[in-house]
Amino acid sequence: MLYRSLRDLHLYFGLFISPFVLLFAASVFYLNHGKLIAGAEAPVETYRDLVVPDGFDRLKGREAVDRAAAILPQLRVSGEIGYLRYVAKTRHVIFPVSKAGSEATVDVDLDARTAIVKRRSMNVMESLSYLHKMPGPHNVAIRGNWIGTGIWRLFADTTIYLLLFISLSGVYLWWAIKAERRIGYAVLTAGAFTFAGLVYAVIR
Amino acid sequence: MPSFARNLESWNRRFHYYLGLYFLFFLWLFSLTGLMLNHQGWFTDLYHRHETQYDPDIETPAGDSQLSQTLDVMRQLNLKGEIDWPAAQPVGHIDFNVSRPNGAAQVRVDLNARHAYVKEFTNGTLHAFQIFHTFSGSRFNQPASNRDWAVTSAWVFAMDALAAGLIVMVLGSYYMWWKLKKRKALGLVVLFLGVSGCAAFVSGVL
Repeated sequence: MLYRSLRDLHLYFGLFISPFVLLFAASVFYLNHGKLIAGAEAPVETYRDLVVPDGFDRLKGREAVDRAAAILPQLRVSGEIGYLRYVAKTRHVIFPVSKAGSEATVDVDLDARTAIVKRRSMNVMESLSYLHKMPGPHNVAIRGNWIGTGIWRLFADTTIYLLLFISLSGVYLWWAIKAERRIGYAVLTAGAFTFAGLVYAVIR
Repeated sequence: MPSFARNLESWNRRFHYYLGLYFLFFLWLFSLTGLMLNHQGWFTDLYHRHETQYDPDIETPAGDSQLSQTLDVMRQLNLKGEIDWPAAQPVGHIDFNVSRPNGAAQVRVDLNARHAYVKEFTNGTLHAFQIFHTFSGSRFNQPASNRDWAVTSAWVFAMDALAAGLIVMVLGSYYMWWKLKKRKALGLVVLFLGVSGCAAFVSGVL
């Protein structure tokens, strides 16, 4: 009964996360070996007569990011705001906005109520690598300021939890087949030695 | 069933077990560190590290290239790890950083005075554990960054092997599932949900 239940869950959970596992695995090669070649930048676009929220001179963190996000629909930009830089001297707010496939840098002149937008598109491998690294460890206080990032975080976490379940249930399913135990032990031991040896070599 | 197809199924199943067992500890490391990277709020003092400073005399570094001279300085100071140079070197200096998961060092060498100024950092265990996830010595958005430590290359090879192993396991599992007489309909629904969720992000809709 336990064997059958675990086997079914192993199968269905595995099928559900398989596209995510393929995405994370394929992007590893680009992250480890790829080099970004800057392509031609799209023409800079200027937007005028914007409705610009106030408070950038005194707000920080998530509050400031939420106000910057309110400007984005007027610029036809959507995505995660990476960070926010307020230049007090010129009263400009500058921030990058990204999602898989595209990236934009927005420079808002608060007094003139204008914005300059530079857009850049990502190739497929860069998009996969972008998703691999999101939400990531940087700028934790403001990360997840776009709904897409929040949903992706949920998928990424689900993938990890289900991978852990699948690996544990996989060990049980292997263990239940007596004929496979001897070779399985040998392979598991070889993997453990490789892992321990590499970790030791890196930190010794 | 023809014997070829039977053999293929049997070996595909075994290969699935063996790959999974071989990469088990690697998979756990990258899964757990992936969770850590996405949930920094779970930890306090994760980036707290112990710092020591010293400024020893050194011999003039041997070699005629920046790399060989840096490696000679590292040998003299007993430092190991992945090297990172600043964009421009001050005249008469070799400055570099050297890092690995459990620590890092900032080294400034005055070649004329034959003197080194070293700040060495030791990372906490959890921080070191997390760094294994990203320890590749190369950044795709920094074309000048390259691996120069053989151990990093070995670790990157292990990352690549795990990624290739996972791809083979996933493709093999599709074959195993498709050969089952039952569970096709529900499997298709579940797979469709996964593909749709993933595609929404890859396509840039989300």
